[in-house]
Amino acid sequence: MQQVINGLFLGSIYALFALGYTLVFGVLDILNLAHAAVFMLASFAALVLVARLHLPILLALPLAMLFAGLLGMVLERVAFRPLRARGDSNVAGLISSLAVATVFEAVALEVWGPNVERFPFGTLPAEDPAHQLHLLGAVISRLQLTIMGVAVVLVLLLTYLVRRTRLGREVRAVAESPRAARVLGVDVDRVIAASFFISSALGGAAGVLYGLAFNSISPDMGRSVELKGLAVIIVGGMGSMPGAVIAGFALGLTEVLVVAHLGGSYRDAVSFAGLFLILVLRPRGLLGAASLREA
Amino acid sequence: MSSADRALALLAAAALAAAPAARAAQEVVKIGACLSLTGPAAVYGAQQKAGVQAAVDELNRIGALPGVKLELVIEDDASTKEQGIAVYQRLIGREKVAAILGPTLSNTATAADPLAQAARVPVVAVSNTAPRGITDIGDHVWRVSLTEAQVIPGALQRAQGSLGFKTAGVLYGNDDAFTQAGYEVMKGALSALGVHTLGTQTFAKPDRDYNAQLTALIGQKPDILVVSALAENAAGIVAQARQLGWQGPILGGNGFNSAALIKNAGPAAEGVLVGTSWNRSSSEPANQAFLRLMASRGFEPDQFCAQAYAGVQVIAEAVRLAGLKGGRDDVEAGLQKVKDLATPLGRFSFLPSRDGSHEPALQVVKGGRFEIAQ
Amino acid sequence: MGEALAGFWDTYQSTVGYVGLNALLALSVYTSLSCGQLALGSSGFAALGAYAAALLTVQAHWPFPLVLLVALILPAAVAVPLGLPALRLHGVFLAIATIAFGEVVRIGLVNWDYVHGAQGIVAIPQEASVWMIWLALLLALLLLSRLRGSRWGFALEAVREDEPAARTLGIATTRYKLAMLVAGAALAGLAGALEAHFTFMVAPSGFTFGRVVEMLVFAVVGGTQRAWGPVLGAAFLTVLPEALREVAPRVGLEPGPLRLMVNGLVLLAVILFLPAGLASLPQRLRERRAAGRGA
Repeated sequence: MQQVINGLFLGSIYALFALGYTLVFGVLDILNLAHAAVFMLASFAALVLVARLHLPILLALPLAMLFAGLLGMVLERVAFRPLRARGDSNVAGLISSLAVATVFEAVALEVWGPNVERFPFGTLPAEDPAHQLHLLGAVISRLQLTIMGVAVVLVLLLTYLVRRTRLGREVRAVAESPRAARVLGVDVDRVIAASFFISSALGGAAGVLYGLAFNSISPDMGRSVELKGLAVIIVGGMGSMPGAVIAGFALGLTEVLVVAHLGGSYRDAVSFAGLFLILVLRPRGLLGAASLREA
Repeated sequence: MSSADRALALLAAAALAAAPAARAAQEVVKIGACLSLTGPAAVYGAQQKAGVQAAVDELNRIGALPGVKLELVIEDDASTKEQGIAVYQRLIGREKVAAILGPTLSNTATAADPLAQAARVPVVAVSNTAPRGITDIGDHVWRVSLTEAQVIPGALQRAQGSLGFKTAGVLYGNDDAFTQAGYEVMKGALSALGVHTLGTQTFAKPDRDYNAQLTALIGQKPDILVVSALAENAAGIVAQARQLGWQGPILGGNGFNSAALIKNAGPAAEGVLVGTSWNRSSSEPANQAFLRLMASRGFEPDQFCAQAYAGVQVIAEAVRLAGLKGGRDDVEAGLQKVKDLATPLGRFSFLPSRDGSHEPALQVVKGGRFEIAQ
Repeated sequence: MGEALAGFWDTYQSTVGYVGLNALLALSVYTSLSCGQLALGSSGFAALGAYAAALLTVQAHWPFPLVLLVALILPAAVAVPLGLPALRLHGVFLAIATIAFGEVVRIGLVNWDYVHGAQGIVAIPQEASVWMIWLALLLALLLLSRLRGSRWGFALEAVREDEPAARTLGIATTRYKLAMLVAGAALAGLAGALEAHFTFMVAPSGFTFGRVVEMLVFAVVGGTQRAWGPVLGAAFLTVLPEALREVAPRVGLEPGPLRLMVNGLVLLAVILFLPAGLASLPQRLRERRAAGRGA
């Protein structure tokens, strides 16, 4: 049972990270390799807000998300928009986002150094080990519950945004076909910028929560999640948000169960082999759209 | 300062006072340092950079080598063997250094050291702990960092002496040469002590979540958790183990010997045992001087820093033993004679295999600080 | 003069060697790019070639030419059962599937005790020289450029431009794509084996996801229209850190994060302003000059 809790906890963070990834992919058919770097910078931003400016985490989180969203818009403007007209924009976009990710990581290294930082003790009152719940023989800390809760809330907010608001409708229109959307009067550039804002804000939230959950913030903290995030969005279906969420939790649980029964060494190998199989057998993933995106 | 250092300093001062003109004619001995300042190993490279810079500055300041000025050339190998090789060639061919302080990562060392060997340039490894493939590259490769084989068995034995554990759960990072080598030694040492390993789990360096592995190990109810991990993982492992309810002892290897463990794990780090090369709480003057020096430079040192510092001291000592001559062969000859040098690591000598030799230590975290375990 | 050259060689020999190796690796990605496939399995193929070669030399003492032959054939053979299912995917999906393959290979090697896991195989005799590496590169270039004007070359071009159209024209697209994947695998394996025998050792840490992305960057930055584009890209990006090392102290740049940042910025500049890669630079300059004269 403890392992199930472990899996759900891990999965909630994967899901949040993957949501941002899949949003951009759904809209632009582009893999944003700088997502993990934004994830990392948001975590550092929250750290600065909490440790230096002594803001409560409840305030620092949305501020860090705002910061991440803005970074995402800058990223879109600098690295993706100029390439949109090009035929090979997929690959070119991949590389330019990689270049920006390198720059972001270099900045973080220069400013904070390579050491692993953590949020100050007491950032979240739930950290005290006395605040633990025992659920069916498993231990779960208030911190873990809080983090899972925030993740779920953000997912629900995003779902509402996409389903019920006008912006959400425009995003879906652009995802389906930018040309058609433009004809229908949608300001495609604005929608794309907004998508990047939302996607990066979510990635930033994932970063802050990750930093809180594992007490580990460093310039290379994105490394472990970036490939996992990729696996999640494939399994869930590229461009499908509920897919990303379900797959995120599924991956978290799978990883944990593999470790419990096969040992840690093969955990990632199993994930990637599974990823390969899914791609070969059902490329659109669990909930992905069946048809190709049109031009 | 040790009495040797003091004597040297006095001599230097006397010489300087007596012949101010002589000060101008100083031989410059260049020491090259190939460190990982970016990339995955940057955490350790940064510590090493601070250590070597402090050592060179200090040795020059006190005039430990009269008539000789040490000059440091630091290059970044970006944690890759490709750049490590390029750096070595640069240090050997362009900078013409007298000695090289070996690369941060063992993997880079096994690729780059052969170049120094072929060029007959002495290499002093300060963080490579792989048992094979370092000093056996050739007779120009020397090592200051103790291999895990020199540290872990003694630490485990001492721990068992006081705790009397019979079963163990083992967790180690299997994608890094450092921690993997540490695991192999731990495995052997545990079985030599008659301890039954109930379960073994692994993790990868970038991982931050160890709950799954720890849950599996703790579920088997071992007497002790033995962990081979780098500093960036150690704090998380300890914190998560305690959070999962593990009350028993935890013993870690060299990677745990870092202020980052205490800083990041906080109260969870209390009572953690660390089998390590560097006894940071040693009251030996050389160690205390080192700690004071690093504090005055505003830097919190860890084992990597201490070993790098000692590496420079060893090279300087070699120059001194070679009659204050700084050519490559001179340093080589001097290294062969280094004996009982006072370093932060303790009294240092080389073994015939050119591996390092000094007393390792078993530390325990008490009251937020490392102390010697009784 | 002779002494200056000898000095240059002493210092930069390994860089020249690595330009050759990286060029071979870039070509291994290029072969698939030339028919429009983003196949990123080269790190896995290189690992297979490198380890097979290292084991044969160190354990079985096979003669080096035979070892290189195995390094060519083994990855090529593995590419076939991998490619048949995987090449049905396109775009980023194929990229991810092949990345997953590479990770599975790497993790397998990390966990394989026989090859000492993360520590790798050390003390490999230096059988490969810079001349050998460049000879292999020139042969590869020759073969690839011969393809260009031939029927094979036209077929690849057609597949790259518009695969469904090519298929209706009767071109056996799968066969061509598979052949290019196999060719790329062979090149990667060869490069891996040469590197193992050039740098005395081989370890799983040399075959990460980051490495194959690096190879892709070499190819795209150099230009993927002609076979010599990736070579140019590899040369430029391999020399860049060394050139920066030269320049840095004079400009007051410390070794470390700022160098990384410059690397990222240069990459970004090239990808944004030179879409067809560095290889297109002479043509672009000619066009600029012509336009200047005309206006």
